[in-house]
Parts: sequence; C-alpha cells; structure tokens
Amino acid sequence: MSDKQAILEALRRVQDPDLRRDIVSLGFVKEVKLCGPAAAVTIELTTPACPVKDLLKEQARQAILSVPGIEEAHVTMTAQVRSSMGSRGTGLLPDVKNVIPVASGKGGVGKSTVSANLALALARSGANVGLLDADVYGPSIPTLMGISGKPDMAPGNRILPIRQYGVGVISMGFFLPRDKAVIWRGPMLDKMIGQFLGGVQWGALDYLVIDLPPGTGDVQLSLCQKISLTGAVVVSTPQDVALNVAQKAIIMFNQLNCPVLGMVENMSYYVCSCCGTREAIFGDGGTQRVAEQLELPLLGDIPLSTDIRVQSDRGRPIVLDAPESLAARSFVTVAENLAAQISIRNMSGELNQEIQIAF
Amino acid sequence: MNIPSKITRANQHDVAITWSDGHQSLYPARDLRLACPCASCVDEMTGLRILQPGQVGKGVAPASLELVGRYAIRIWWQDGHSSGIYTFDYLRELCPCEECRG
Repeated sequence: MSDKQAILEALRRVQDPDLRRDIVSLGFVKEVKLCGPAAAVTIELTTPACPVKDLLKEQARQAILSVPGIEEAHVTMTAQVRSSMGSRGTGLLPDVKNVIPVASGKGGVGKSTVSANLALALARSGANVGLLDADVYGPSIPTLMGISGKPDMAPGNRILPIRQYGVGVISMGFFLPRDKAVIWRGPMLDKMIGQFLGGVQWGALDYLVIDLPPGTGDVQLSLCQKISLTGAVVVSTPQDVALNVAQKAIIMFNQLNCPVLGMVENMSYYVCSCCGTREAIFGDGGTQRVAEQLELPLLGDIPLSTDIRVQSDRGRPIVLDAPESLAARSFVTVAENLAAQISIRNMSGELNQEIQIAF
Repeated sequence: MNIPSKITRANQHDVAITWSDGHQSLYPARDLRLACPCASCVDEMTGLRILQPGQVGKGVAPASLELVGRYAIRIWWQDGHSSGIYTFDYLRELCPCEECRG
C-alpha cells in the first residue's frame, strides 16, 4: 500500500458526527500531497459554518500522524456548500443554493434580530449570504443592519442588494419613506415577493435568509409557492402564548411540504449583570419540550440581553461587535447548527427528489 | 406527504402521475376539472361545491401544468380556468384506481 493509500485508510477513521459517515466515503478528502515525511491534506466540508470543523481537523491530523513514516501533517479545511434547490426551483433564484425563511407564529419574538445575527454569523464563517426582509408591514432589517440608503439598479432594471457587513440585503423599508405604511391586500404581497426573489440580482449565494412577517398568511404562502425552500427556522420565546402559535407556523410548513430545520428559543433566560444569576423569565425549557414533541432539532437558545437590544438599535448586530459575548456565541451556535441541518438534508438527497413534468 | 416522481399526459385529455412510492394514478380530465379546489369552484366557508357538472364541457383538457413550490401543481385548462392549486395529498386522495377506491 502506498503512503497515500495508507493516509486515506487512516482518514476513514474520522467520522462526521452529523452525517454519520467517515470523511473519505463522504468524498470530503480532496487532496493528499506527500513530501518526504510530511503530508498535506485538503478536506472540503459542506459548510464553512460546520460546528465540528476544529474537531474534524484535529482528528484528521492525528489520523495522518498515525501512519508509519509520517512525521508532519498539514490539514487545510475548505467548504463547498451544497444546494437544496435541485431541479425544482422555478428559475427565480438560479444561483442561490439554499433559502431559509425565519418564521414565528406570534410577533415580537425576535425574528428579525435572529435573522440578522444568523446571516452575519454565516457570513463570518466564510459563506456567501443574502438577507431578505420580507416583513413588508414592519421592516426592521434596515434599522438592525444600520442601512439608510436606497439600492442601486443593475442593467436590465434589476435591483442590486445593499451590501452591509459582508451581506447583501433587501428590504421593503428601502423603498418606502419613513412616514408611509404598507397597507396591501394579498395580490400585492404576492407580487412584491416575486419582485424580491426574481427582480433582485442576488448573485451566487450559499444561503439566503428570509425574515418573514409573523403568522401564516400571504407572504408565507407566496414564498412556499414560488420557490423550493430549503427549510424554515421557527423562532419562539419560552412562553406558552408564543409556543402555541409557533406550532401553527410549523403545521403550515408541513402542509406546504417545506421542511422545518429546527426551532430557536429567543429571550430564553436572563443573566444578571451584577451577580451572574441565570433567571428563566419567560419559563424554562418550553421550546425544548415542543421541539422534542414535534421531533425537531432545537438549534439553540438566545439569552434576553440588554447588549443585544443596544447593538440592534445601533444598527450593528451583536455578532459583529462583541463576537465573544455570551449572546453572540449563542447566535453563532444557532448558525452552525442550522448549517449542519442544511448539510444533512442536502446530503441525504430527500429535498432533491426530482418531479419530472412532461406536459 | 405523497410526492410524485413523474407527471405527464396519459392521452390528449387525461393526466397520469407516477408517485415516488411507485403507485400510478390516471385522472380523467373532466373529473379532475370538476374536482378543482379553488375558491370559485368550492365555497370556502361551507366546503360545498359551486361548480356543477353541467358547467364543464365533455372535451375539457389541460393546456399546461406547473409545479407550485414543492407541495402542489397548478393546471391551466383549455376553458381558461387556472386558479386551482391541487396539492399532492389532494391528488393522491382523488386517485380513481380500484385499490384507492376500494
């Protein structure tokens, strides 16, 4: 057996804990180079936001070093995000690999804050990310992302997203004076969603995060009809009033055959800044219970924190300015778990089931 | 959810669906048109059918058909009607084969 083969054999012992297969049979090992006793290996993951990236890197390094005659191991981690769009996309978003609506049943649970921080956490991991604010009635993304300008137009009368903090952003708020409100019926909302998907030059994206309005109405329905969504994230607070309505949102996605990738508990607990005591203001473990009942992953808990609020109002989401804070780290955990769920779905092929239409 | 793997014409009029579990359904065009679930064919509040068999011609046929998201199809009928969104689950329920009817 050549040294290269010996290295590949050794790497078969490294398992991806999410996909439950070894990295060689998953096809993640892209390159093995040898130079005397030194080995250089490139491993390509399915997302740069992989929660176990460091673990896999170290395990790979150890595995390579276990091969007789190898004394040095260099492991390079890269990522190639897989697409869930398959052939079912309607052509509205040909270059977007994954579309993730962030939904809730009740309003005011922090969908926009979660969406903005999720988008930024994914972008910081190295992914190409877009953020679409589909909350036409109460667009909060311009405030949260500190954007006051208007988008430019690209040739062909297409709207260019505004790039802020490394993320392409589109919001109804960009097109509306502050003293005007959107008072629309369904058909207008449907048209707007079509415009924000097909009329915007999103470019090549790994993830498009969509901040939805609360509830189970026109915007949600239009979105599920117009494109093939990767899967939704459902945000709730631990209170029963929020959780009961969150389940309605989940039922809606089930009916529309849009997978639910997991739930996020926002305002989960409060940590006293004086004594460090952790208090579950809105109740303990509510989202976890519902997620278990519905057999959905809980992607993470976000604390109730003054810093999140202050940073949001300043237009600089917390993962940007205080990435090491507890709050920012919890957003990053949610982003990583979400990216892992997307990879699991896309690798399993269940979303890519082709429906052939010959008509 | 029931997912089709192939949707095609059975002949000039009728629609054939092969499902991902292998089941095959053949829908006579006129029955499918009469089963239209849209709000002008079915009363949204009472669920009573508004569309009556006499209103649909014998030769009705689909002109074209497209996927709606990943849960339904929309059919454009030659008589101009196109507002019905047939979910996959509804279509499977409608399957007229003996096995499904029995």
